[in-house]
Amino acid sequence: MKHYERDDSSRNQSSLWHSSDSSLLKGGDSGRKDKGEAVFLGQELTSLRLCFPQVEPHATIAEIKNLFTKTHPQWYPARQSLRLDPKGKSLKDEDVLQKLPVGTTATLYFRDLGAQISWVTVFLTEYAGPLFIYLLFYFRVPFIYGHKYDFTSSRHTVVHLACICHSFHYIKRLLETLFVHRFSHGTMPLRNIFKNCTYYWGFAAWMAYYINHPLYTPPTYGAQQVKLALAIFVICQLGNFSIHMALRDLRPAGSKTRKIPYPTKNPFTWLFLLVSCPNYTYEVGSWIGFAIMTQCLPVALFSLVGFTQMTIWAKGKHRSYLKEFRDYPPLRMPIIPFLL
Amino acid sequence: MAAVAATAAAKGNGGGGGRAGAGDASGTRKKKGPGPLATAYLVIYNVVMTAGWLVIAVGLVRAYLAKGSYHSLYYSIEKPLKFFQTGALLEILHCAIGIVPSSVVLTSFQVMSRVFLIWAVTHSVKESEDSVLLFVIAWTITEIIRYSFYTFSLLNHLPYLIKWARYTLFIVLYPMGVSGELLTIYAALPFVRQAGLYSISLPNKYNFSFDYYAFLILIMISYIPIFPQLYFHMIHQRRKILSHTEEHKKFE
Repeated sequence: MKHYERDDSSRNQSSLWHSSDSSLLKGGDSGRKDKGEAVFLGQELTSLRLCFPQVEPHATIAEIKNLFTKTHPQWYPARQSLRLDPKGKSLKDEDVLQKLPVGTTATLYFRDLGAQISWVTVFLTEYAGPLFIYLLFYFRVPFIYGHKYDFTSSRHTVVHLACICHSFHYIKRLLETLFVHRFSHGTMPLRNIFKNCTYYWGFAAWMAYYINHPLYTPPTYGAQQVKLALAIFVICQLGNFSIHMALRDLRPAGSKTRKIPYPTKNPFTWLFLLVSCPNYTYEVGSWIGFAIMTQCLPVALFSLVGFTQMTIWAKGKHRSYLKEFRDYPPLRMPIIPFLL
Repeated sequence: MAAVAATAAAKGNGGGGGRAGAGDASGTRKKKGPGPLATAYLVIYNVVMTAGWLVIAVGLVRAYLAKGSYHSLYYSIEKPLKFFQTGALLEILHCAIGIVPSSVVLTSFQVMSRVFLIWAVTHSVKESEDSVLLFVIAWTITEIIRYSFYTFSLLNHLPYLIKWARYTLFIVLYPMGVSGELLTIYAALPFVRQAGLYSISLPNKYNFSFDYYAFLILIMISYIPIFPQLYFHMIHQRRKILSHTEEHKKFE
């Protein structure tokens, strides 16, 4: 922790006052926090003024957050949202005090974002689950199917293939989380881990139950269907990985810069010509391939739900690209070339 | 759940929208109401729905007087009940296009649970019709009050009696409706199991299975967390809205 001490003769110091809404004292209204709306409790608003005297003008928001944590250790920096206006946007950690529209006294409003958890932790947990759970069904661990099937093996090749594909997919995701992705945000609200894990683990169990079931019915068009679907799956997995690598290379280590992604020498990245988020495009493609390969309705439903969510994300990303970059390629659609 | 969920959180059908005089749940914020065309449409919609549920109410009374017993009263109002309850699906559309300031998700949930009960339980399992009367009566009274509440709110002239009724009668009607719904689903269970209704089992080429019997049991269990939440939300609303009006009256 830095101490900002200057001798009294300096007149360039700013004092920093914090006023907060009553969430500071009452523990906050967690219901609306996730939506990022300011909890402005009207008549119940009370303010707590904290004075941080002698903060240097070139202090960053991050440093101020650290100062705040010293006096209120339960609100670690990741949980703090500081803003100039109670209903305004959160200030970024990199923002410098003297560049903000404040005078010699700055008033910041604090909002508690709730307990936070790191993105990496969430990703690792939500991906490790399906990997492990699917294998429980694949090996027909007791109490899932009838006892006479315990630890038996399916006689269909496609079932073994499906296990390999599914496991590969999640191992890939885990490795990418550890070694490839560069996250813009360090943390997300704690509540998300329960929501996300329920989704991933739940669907994984549901799909795995049917694919590895003793009464599983292999695809109608046999080996042809499986081969085609496998090809789609593999191509899309390679594509998805290529995009992740390309996105990683856009952003230097430790930075949070944003640039327009462009196609590279890798043919899989040429999808950037037509789409803002080809990683999502390839991801949907992978799951469609998996659904065709297993001919399993729950897989198709999982693909549909995933597609819906990814489309929402892609549209959001596309919109922010358009806002941020004047020269954004006009041909690109968010997720499906020419269509969506 | 379906019984009062419709009363509970929905400020819908233009009731909360616009004129602050209505003093509804969202009350104090002056919101842009629906335009004149939308308002006219909503008034017509709510009047028609009020009339429809009145028809059902009258039908019930007449059938009871004619038969002298509660048995098979359902059949006398089966058609208008299906028609008007299914018609409520329009309310989801109203929220989606924004002429009513309610959440699409919440309204969908409420309306779909009613429609589910009417079609997927009562209509599908003839044998479940005996306990239907309990929730039909609860719904009928609730809906007549609710739709007239919206009508009057849209016309900017809400009699205190209607507001009072909407926020008070639920105390009895909601548990009554929920009981009726649960009893009806429960009555349907053995027949669903026996006939394998709406169920599909392995093996099949879609590698999918669905057990409607288990699904209905899950639905019944879901009432346990959902009903108290909605009920106490309404109680909270009641305290807020009826005391609010009392205060206003004091200063007049």
